[in-house]
Amino acid sequence: MFEQDQEDIVERVIRELRRPASIDRALDARVMSEIARPPARPVTRRPFARIWPWLAAAALLAAAVIARPWSRDTRADAFQFVLIAPQAASVALVGDFNDWDPARAPMHAARDGVWATVIPLAPGRYRYAFLVDGVEWRADPGAPAARDDEFGTPSSVVTVGGRGT
Amino acid sequence: MGIEMVEAGDAELVRRIRAGDIGAYAALVARYRDRLGRYALHMIGDREDAEEALQDAFVRAFRSLARCDDPERFGAWLYGILVNRCRTTGARAARRRRVFVRDDHAINGAAHPNQADRVEWADVVDRALARLAPEYREAFLLKHVEDLEYEEIAELTGAGVSALKMRVKRAREQLQRFVKEAEHV
Repeated sequence: MFEQDQEDIVERVIRELRRPASIDRALDARVMSEIARPPARPVTRRPFARIWPWLAAAALLAAAVIARPWSRDTRADAFQFVLIAPQAASVALVGDFNDWDPARAPMHAARDGVWATVIPLAPGRYRYAFLVDGVEWRADPGAPAARDDEFGTPSSVVTVGGRGT
Repeated sequence: MGIEMVEAGDAELVRRIRAGDIGAYAALVARYRDRLGRYALHMIGDREDAEEALQDAFVRAFRSLARCDDPERFGAWLYGILVNRCRTTGARAARRRRVFVRDDHAINGAAHPNQADRVEWADVVDRALARLAPEYREAFLLKHVEDLEYEEIAELTGAGVSALKMRVKRAREQLQRFVKEAEHV
């Protein structure tokens, strides 16, 4: 009798909750307007294209000696990201800073499977990952994992402090 | 062209967007707006906060579309983003200790006694739902209102299936008690 009573009440609750919701149609326009805007933290194209082989060599040295997958460049706001992926044919750095667009931060292979790129980052907290061969998402093995990432693929977090930090 | 876009499948729309047709995203927003909005409304309990979470989920999904591994399952992927947004928004709202206020749309619709009864019942349900712990409310809504399988819910929430079953069971027991209490006030 009690269980029947509970079933009746809960089923009535479910029926009520299943009623269609009416969401303001203006939300569509707000979404489309928002996505048409430039990203909040636009990334300028890296100014290091002509000297990237030198940077890649530095990346190799950094990975081998310092053993840190990402490290701060000598320039105040330039950050160097490094991934060791000997089998990869291509690697891209994607994250909050470039709208997760692989085309905007392709990484360059130095040798021995070391991939590197340098990008400018303003102070803030960024989630990022490496996209290997266009299909495989990899978190940075040497950085904290992003626990609040809801996109279903592994990612990492880097926090950039202000100057002097 | 507009009709064609509305009828296109999720995967086709995602393909167009990735190819640069940003306008195709409007069809996905229109397709999922009300269903996801219902979940956000029930989960958060406040229309303004729910629409903010929904809008944020749509924008974040667009900005991260490259990470949608299976465009055929765009809806499920989007659900995962919204579930996370609702958790964040719900926690923020709880910190503000918002006083639960019945949806104005429902109140304005109570023009005669039957409608008034329905609004009163809806109010009882909303208040009972709001008293559930967020993880119980989340599991209950996804299982019984959004009609997802436990395995799907586990994928969205990161919780195990047995834990989810326990949450749903507890939610059912508590809802029954809360509704009875409200009806006897």
